[in-house]
Amino acid sequence: MRWWVAVAWIDQLLKEGAKRVDEVEVFYAEGVAISADTKRRNVNLAIRSDECGLGIRTIDKGRIGTSSTHNPKQWRECLEAAIASGRLATPQQWNGLPEQAVPDTDILCYDPSLTPDPQAAYGLLEQMLEGAAQHPAQVTSGSATLSSATDVIANSSGLRSISRHTGLSISLEAIQGQSTGSEFAHSCFFDVDPPAVGERAAFLASQSAGGKDIASGNYDILLSPIAYAELLAVAFIPALSARNVHAGRSCLANHLGDDIMDPRLSFYDDPHRKKGLASGLWDGEGMPTKRIDFIRDGSLSSFAYDLRTAYRYGKESTASAIRNGVSGGTMIGHHNFTVNGSRTDVEDERVIYINSVVGAHTANPMNGDFSVEISNAFWMEEGELQTPIRSAMLVGNVFTMHKEIGGISDEVRQIGPMVLPSIRLISQRIIGK
Amino acid sequence: MSEPPAIRYYDLRHVTGQATLIDIDNGVVESAGTSFFNRAILRVLGPCGWGILEIDNYTSGSKKKFNSLLASASRLASITQQDVHLSDAPYRVLDVPAMREDPRDVSIEEKTEMLAAIELAARNPHVVNRRANYIERSEHITFSDSSGHEFSYEICRSGFNVLAVASRNGTVQMGFERLHSIRGFDLRHRQEYGEHAAKIAVALLDAGHAKGGRMRAVLDPELAGVFAHEAVGHASEGDLVQEGSSILAGKTGNQIGNDRLTIVDDPSLPEFGFEPFDAEGVAVQRTEIIRNGVVNAFLHSRETLAAVGNGVAGHARAMGAEPPLVRMSNTFIENGDAPFEEIIEACNNGILLKGSRGGQVDPGRGIFQFNAEYGYLIEHGECTNMVRDVSLSGEILSTLHDILLCGNDRAMHPGYCGKGGQSVPVSDGAPHVLLDNAVVGSSGVD
Repeated sequence: MRWWVAVAWIDQLLKEGAKRVDEVEVFYAEGVAISADTKRRNVNLAIRSDECGLGIRTIDKGRIGTSSTHNPKQWRECLEAAIASGRLATPQQWNGLPEQAVPDTDILCYDPSLTPDPQAAYGLLEQMLEGAAQHPAQVTSGSATLSSATDVIANSSGLRSISRHTGLSISLEAIQGQSTGSEFAHSCFFDVDPPAVGERAAFLASQSAGGKDIASGNYDILLSPIAYAELLAVAFIPALSARNVHAGRSCLANHLGDDIMDPRLSFYDDPHRKKGLASGLWDGEGMPTKRIDFIRDGSLSSFAYDLRTAYRYGKESTASAIRNGVSGGTMIGHHNFTVNGSRTDVEDERVIYINSVVGAHTANPMNGDFSVEISNAFWMEEGELQTPIRSAMLVGNVFTMHKEIGGISDEVRQIGPMVLPSIRLISQRIIGK
Repeated sequence: MSEPPAIRYYDLRHVTGQATLIDIDNGVVESAGTSFFNRAILRVLGPCGWGILEIDNYTSGSKKKFNSLLASASRLASITQQDVHLSDAPYRVLDVPAMREDPRDVSIEEKTEMLAAIELAARNPHVVNRRANYIERSEHITFSDSSGHEFSYEICRSGFNVLAVASRNGTVQMGFERLHSIRGFDLRHRQEYGEHAAKIAVALLDAGHAKGGRMRAVLDPELAGVFAHEAVGHASEGDLVQEGSSILAGKTGNQIGNDRLTIVDDPSLPEFGFEPFDAEGVAVQRTEIIRNGVVNAFLHSRETLAAVGNGVAGHARAMGAEPPLVRMSNTFIENGDAPFEEIIEACNNGILLKGSRGGQVDPGRGIFQFNAEYGYLIEHGECTNMVRDVSLSGEILSTLHDILLCGNDRAMHPGYCGKGGQSVPVSDGAPHVLLDNAVVGSSGVD
């Protein structure tokens, strides 16, 4: 394979490393991204970003060491740093890196027609601006990015895997008076709808103008997939990480097998989802991925494990290791985190629709409590957005709110590595102003 | 290949260095190692806007190679339409403040031992998890531009976080402490940070919820600093003003707070957000965003100063070799003259909020939110019961009028600020502040 010839130094690194430590793992990535940004309605800048990086992990008698560099020619220094790092690590049970158990190429997230090109980025911006012109709002900023990357995982047990990814991201922000709106779309394929993104941003800005205040009280609310994702990502999903569970940082730790939410709900990771933004045949350590049922019909059934955590606690890896860039090493995460369940008409009765929230990251990750400002919120009647709500806070708990659901929508949306419906919640606390 | 368009200006910023990270989790050294980075950014201003190249593993080469990069960036600029101009700006390089002890002179073994002592200090019968991280990032930055400026500096930022998680009867709470600095190695004899994190986590197990709604709130210096950052700082950033997404656009000269209130951003201060010069090579200086309650000046890059006016350049910042954005650095509310006791007494009935879990603002809408780590009810001028999980939200144009008193005990606190996908080191600070009509988000009810 031509690509392996280009990275022949990886074999040399593995060979060199294997003389020094029990096992060596190499992660190498290179890619290019082209983006263009608009300020108001004029393109202000275009960027080409050429990225490459090397991450090395060594394991010696259960001691795990890591290092990384942007310069693959510096691999000897990087290997030395990884080995030195391992000497300081506390040893743990370690049963070996995976051997080749997967195809050597993964193109689930690859679109050969998606080429990083400035004119393509420009075209996407133009189309978003056209969409935005349908509503009386002013565009403030927007961005379009096209990217292509190749990742390699190789280890001293013989694993050699290449995955190729493409990506397309667009976003637009708009304002009408003191009312703002924004929308975005991400895909691994050239299949986004830029006019719809522009139209939605301008719609939210214009439709939210002239908002009315709301009295404090308990109300039924409908969280859009965006607002739902913001709250889940900060406080719920970290509680499913086995590292947090075993370390005492998850309030779900002693609840395996318990009914922790409404039995109509199931949460699972779906790594092979067609056109999923984070689909992959293997995880960040080269383990073959499969569906993980975290919550099955309201009952907590599994946590997410990488190799390190699984070996330490005598469990099986769920292939949940992800790479946070080259220098970040591996961490426990998910591929396409999916919320599913019996679908209902969530818009049939009067409800407060909340498109997004401000300050989700300030939620308490230990107990799930949050109090956030709501954005682009409306009274919704018979599925139609009616009176906008000017400003209010939503107070709740990301765990208990799943026992208070009115239903989830038929439609789902991909928000990064999540596939979510809108969710209707009963009697949630709103603090009015 | 078509001829690249004309170049009006270019600059090159090259960032190299290394980062050392140590992670200790419940007594286990999970990782302790060093990584290396090398990235450059070349910005070219064409006939209209910018063409930018970001290059990993950059090495300076021949003039021919550099001209080829310029041509590539210039071709990118050919798709831009905005008529970008750059204001004139002063150039000056400040000395990086001396370090008491250079972290690079301390072995990673010693650092790991000291961090372990801090982590261990968080031991407590109710503490189920202790975690401590050490972060050291040493950067060498070189800057050059087509106007002939050439500057460089080296800076090392280092510090630690310690987390304690307490649990009892299904209730889980946390205490979090941190110390980050540009002034040198600061891990020695810091066990009190671990002890304090544990103390707060355990105390919060018995804390209740405050009643949500409008009330008077006293913000401690850390939280009041975040308040200044979220409520005023972001909305004063020139790029947001230029785009039309700041509620402060067109408000210069307007009184939006009481006449004793002054809010400043100052990258020249030797705090965590210090820069010897900004990401465009421009001299850094103090900018009074709000002076005596009046909107006084915006934070600017050369581009936004030319487009918007009113303020000074020198506030362009970047995470590593990312494109410069207009950012805050060291942002604070100036001291007033009220002693802490007077502030609590004047509050009478309300809430004292301490520490920060961060905040966020929608500057176009003029709405912000931020969250305290914990607080205490104030009843009849006395601090009483501890409360947890309290957020505040407010509106930029009205909330500064509600600052009734500022203390005389300003302190700065380090942190990181996110914008446009970039995270940069900052510090925020203030004295204790008494806020009227604060909207408190908490789940307690009558």
